Amino acid sequence: MSGATPKSGAIRCLLGMLGTDVHTKGIRTLAQLLRDRGVEVIYLGEHNTAEGMVSAILAEDVDVVGLSFSTATYVHYTRVLIEAMKAAGVDDVPVMLGGLIHRDDEDELKSIGVKGIFGPGSTTDGIMQFLQDITGKSLGSARDTLG
Amino acid sequence: MTPSVELAPAVADAAAAVHRGDIRRIARLISRIEANDESLRPLLECLYLAGGRTPVIGITGPPGAGKSTLVDQLITRYRARALTVAVLAVDPASPFSGGAILGDRVRMGRHNTDAGVFIRSMSARGMLGGLARAAADCLVVLDAMGRDVILIETVGVGQNEIDIMRHAHSVLIVQTPAAGDAVQAVKAGILEIGDVFAVNKADTPGADRAAAALREAVEFRYDAHDPTAWHPPVLKVEATTGTGLDDMMQALDRHRSHLTAHPTQLRRRLLTGARLQVAELVAVALRRRYFLEDHRDARLTRVLDEVVERRCDPYGAAERLLEGGT
Repeated sequence: MSGATPKSGAIRCLLGMLGTDVHTKGIRTLAQLLRDRGVEVIYLGEHNTAEGMVSAILAEDVDVVGLSFSTATYVHYTRVLIEAMKAAGVDDVPVMLGGLIHRDDEDELKSIGVKGIFGPGSTTDGIMQFLQDITGKSLGSARDTLG
Repeated sequence: MTPSVELAPAVADAAAAVHRGDIRRIARLISRIEANDESLRPLLECLYLAGGRTPVIGITGPPGAGKSTLVDQLITRYRARALTVAVLAVDPASPFSGGAILGDRVRMGRHNTDAGVFIRSMSARGMLGGLARAAADCLVVLDAMGRDVILIETVGVGQNEIDIMRHAHSVLIVQTPAAGDAVQAVKAGILEIGDVFAVNKADTPGADRAAAALREAVEFRYDAHDPTAWHPPVLKVEATTGTGLDDMMQALDRHRSHLTAHPTQLRRRLLTGARLQVAELVAVALRRRYFLEDHRDARLTRVLDEVVERRCDPYGAAERLLEGGT
């Protein structure tokens, strides 16, 4: 593999939903908040399959994947996605979860490989800090390279 | 010019990875192109010199015209012909934060699981050296992937986005009935670059009028006395239902055949693209020299001093510097 992912440029974040969950308000709001802070959001919307999302993760060379759930099926779908990411060799890309994530499930999600969990009460600043820490990219980089 | 950090075997290895379609390495390569990684030059040179065979179709039009949905339909039709497709989807960025929501994939979601379709989203800002450079370099990589057809989609609002279309062999302009009258079409400056015009959302009121206005504007430019000139068709389509899309595909096919039959026209088109790109690279190199390295150039320093001291005007200074072999 020639060279690791460069640490310059904007943070590229894939946002999408798996399964039958159609509550897109939260993820769309997050997409706009991230955009306004200099993140390049690759927005996949709802009704994705794990396979489809993995091929988007590959082609878009994203730094991080964000999933939103408002249904109770998140442990299952997240496990399926991370297994598919492993099979494709892209499980080095960190996965974060947001939405109605119950505190009782956090340990299990982390054991599956989820790196960040942003349930009710999370702040935009907290998500931004996580994104910078996990990607090693700074928020200012998109601005710095404007033009 | 730029010293390369990559050795020749590494270049050959990377080129081979692109040629055999290694998606992860191609995706990372595009990220490095976006970051204007100058160490890629030997690789891009290698790919460029060996490339140029894939047809490139540009799709442009105002926001919300239905470009992504049309691209989705085009992908489906090319796949039905067992052709493989690479897509570069360019979306605008926030001028305030530099961030972007790249949402074109939402319309193309059904192709996510198809290995015969490679889709890459690109922000129109946030990369060094500008969008046109990044997109042109990205096209070199997509071409080298050996796909059967390349689609490049941009929002047709800026000079940058129009410049990218100069690298396409065929340009599809997408309009809607809400686009306004023919004056708007003329103002937008897109009549010059369009080979096929599609008025999308043909089921909405005003579609006939919009198509007629666009047709009139297109006909005005068409030289009926030149039997070799391409006659750009204006078609009404419905991207969401697929109505009119077979005709649109045929129009794009006919344009491809036209270019094959008239290679001088294809060459003229490619020359325009090359001229723009090389001129831009020269401008960037000069700007860099004048801003970043001016302290090293005694003659430049002297001429600039003369301008400040009003012994030479800026135009005269530019002339003298250009004559000096810069």
